Amino acid sequence: MVAPGVLALAATTTFPLLYLVWQSLQNINLAMPGMDRYVGLENYVRMWDDARFWAALGFTIVYAASTVLLQLVLGLGMALLILRIPRAQWAFRIAAILPIVIAPVVAGLFWRSLMLTPDFGVVDFASKALGLGSHNWLGDPALARVSVIAIHTWQWTPFVFLYMLAALAALPSELYEAARIDRASAWRRFVHITLPLIRPAIVVVVILRMTVALSAFAAIYAATGGGPGTATEILNLYAYRVSFAELSLGYGASAAVVLLAMTMAVAAVLFGLRRSS
Amino acid sequence: MKIVKSGSRSSPSRRKFLKAGVAVAGAPWISRFAHAQGAADLGAYQSAKINWRLAEGQTVNVAVIPASYFDNLIAVTPEFEALTGIKVRYDKVPPGQIRQKVVLDMSSKTANISTHAGDPMYIPLYAANKWADELEPYLNDSKLTDKSWFRHEDIFEAWRKADMVSGKTYAIPYNGEMTIQTYRKDLYDAKGLKPAETLDDIVKNAKALHDPANRMWGFCLRGMPGAGQNMYIYPSILLGFGGKWFDSGGRIKVNSPEALAALEWYVNTNNTYAPQAAQNWNWPDIADAFAQGTIGCYIDGHSAVSVIANPERSKVMGKIGFARWPRGPKGQCASSIWNWAMPINSALPEKARQATWLFIQWAASEETQARTSYRFKGPGKRFDLNRLSMWKQPEYLKTMESAGHNFVPASIDSLTRDTNVDWRPRVPQWPAIGETMAKIIQATLVGQMKPRQALDDAQAQVERIMKGG
Repeated sequence: MVAPGVLALAATTTFPLLYLVWQSLQNINLAMPGMDRYVGLENYVRMWDDARFWAALGFTIVYAASTVLLQLVLGLGMALLILRIPRAQWAFRIAAILPIVIAPVVAGLFWRSLMLTPDFGVVDFASKALGLGSHNWLGDPALARVSVIAIHTWQWTPFVFLYMLAALAALPSELYEAARIDRASAWRRFVHITLPLIRPAIVVVVILRMTVALSAFAAIYAATGGGPGTATEILNLYAYRVSFAELSLGYGASAAVVLLAMTMAVAAVLFGLRRSS
Repeated sequence: MKIVKSGSRSSPSRRKFLKAGVAVAGAPWISRFAHAQGAADLGAYQSAKINWRLAEGQTVNVAVIPASYFDNLIAVTPEFEALTGIKVRYDKVPPGQIRQKVVLDMSSKTANISTHAGDPMYIPLYAANKWADELEPYLNDSKLTDKSWFRHEDIFEAWRKADMVSGKTYAIPYNGEMTIQTYRKDLYDAKGLKPAETLDDIVKNAKALHDPANRMWGFCLRGMPGAGQNMYIYPSILLGFGGKWFDSGGRIKVNSPEALAALEWYVNTNNTYAPQAAQNWNWPDIADAFAQGTIGCYIDGHSAVSVIANPERSKVMGKIGFARWPRGPKGQCASSIWNWAMPINSALPEKARQATWLFIQWAASEETQARTSYRFKGPGKRFDLNRLSMWKQPEYLKTMESAGHNFVPASIDSLTRDTNVDWRPRVPQWPAIGETMAKIIQATLVGQMKPRQALDDAQAQVERIMKGG
């Protein structure tokens, strides 16, 4: 009785992926209907000289690594703090759920129009009030990169926080009591007891967050559209642009295949880590 | 008649929620007036010498964008259903996604969308792929069209031409837009300024009003990148500087000296006089800022009147003036020629195509244009009518009085004198070219690239695109 399940899975996941790979070996350009043909690895060779592709790949790596690291540090830090407040934890849990349930595209729009608009937005107002001056948060290439990383971190840190809170709450208290008797400092208790115990949880949360960060799209699309220029264009957005705005489906597919391979490689490494722990 | 919001099909609860949202947000009057008009007089349509019930029982699927001018059309659609026995199902797709959605449907020949609010710049792409039917056979078929009743030639020439390829019509404009100068008449009058006649005047006027410390910025143009965003404005300036899209050999040339001068003007003027945030603004952002009284003058689509002259949202009602695009150093800056163009999806079966044609003919007809505008029974009468003759009707002029000073003359001038159907390169590769140009224009605006280098880069990319890469 496994066969129908396997077939359904193959039809809905494996087949589209294989089709994507096949498409990446073709020249398919809707603007030039007569020129469709098999081109082998030509699309991949073209990527080699495509500065915009490399910029997108580079920013994808920076974006994924920095957002996941920030989420982990902030989420774990918040969880450790909130764990010491036994009474009002429910309030923090509810507050934490709010950003998570917002659709990323809404988060992007909300940050773009309400928070980050120079002269009009909340963040800019705060920045001016603190004497840091008005900045073009989404218009300046470097600031825009920081801003989209901040938006993603803002939205998803609560997820890590909730996950870590659950993991920490399940830790056995005897170990900590024993450590206290041995006069171990808070930092030593954290490094030698807490971290090893929650390592499996950290690996799982990193895998989850990493795959989402690598395939992020909607919030950036809504906040900057990949701009200014191409400053915040991650690989996913680039593949989308090439495929559906420039109508070059073959080349777009090859960019998507690279992203797919990257995500799978990162997941494989992380799963390997999990097993070894 | 059925209206869905795009993306809501996958989950019933989400669809219900969205439908409820639509109903609360703006549609109660739609359904109310739809009922009221259900029993409306169909005589004006029945006077056409065609059999409206030719395709009875068919369903027409129409993709539109969520906009009040389409809401008005949706509100009177029960009349079309009563007239023809054809069912109409609307799908509302945000403007940022409608092109991609339609291209996916047409290229895969799924024919889920019979007709749609189409971008005229995509018509060459439709024609090259034979995704849309040529419409002359429909226009010339006396069973399907009463020529003297429909009067296709009465529709603005610029818009009709924008929907043609090699002399053949591929779509009919439902409505359209032109870009005009919009300025604060009260502030101009107080300082003795006149609406700009040249691009230099724009800078002079902007300088006279510019006072960011008191939240007043002198001038503003769109900065947001996109084939339909900053590439909706830059081409007008390019033409004012005497630039052309094609060289003498018919090849696309985007890095001419004129292009450089135009790009430099755009970048310098916007970066000197617009709010910094405008580097990422599209027209609704500009309209909102103008409605809040923070912008002295901008040039953009005339449809923003629905925001800036809306008593509930605008602080500048009664203080607005309009004028044509100014002249550049080497010629008139062209107005945009925008229209939401309705084609027929050629993947449809014969009978469904006839039904779709009847729908398009009905929507673009003078009668339906009037019923969605000055004779519309709800609030929000639309003003982007597709026929010049209607722009001169006293009823229409009366509706437009509240828009501001010189609105109708400036709009008509733009559409009849300042247009150039080739203000943007009308080739099947436009989507890629438009996106490429949009990226480098914004990169220049934010200082990521220098104008010369940006245009040379764009030229290299455009040459690759034209070769099919």
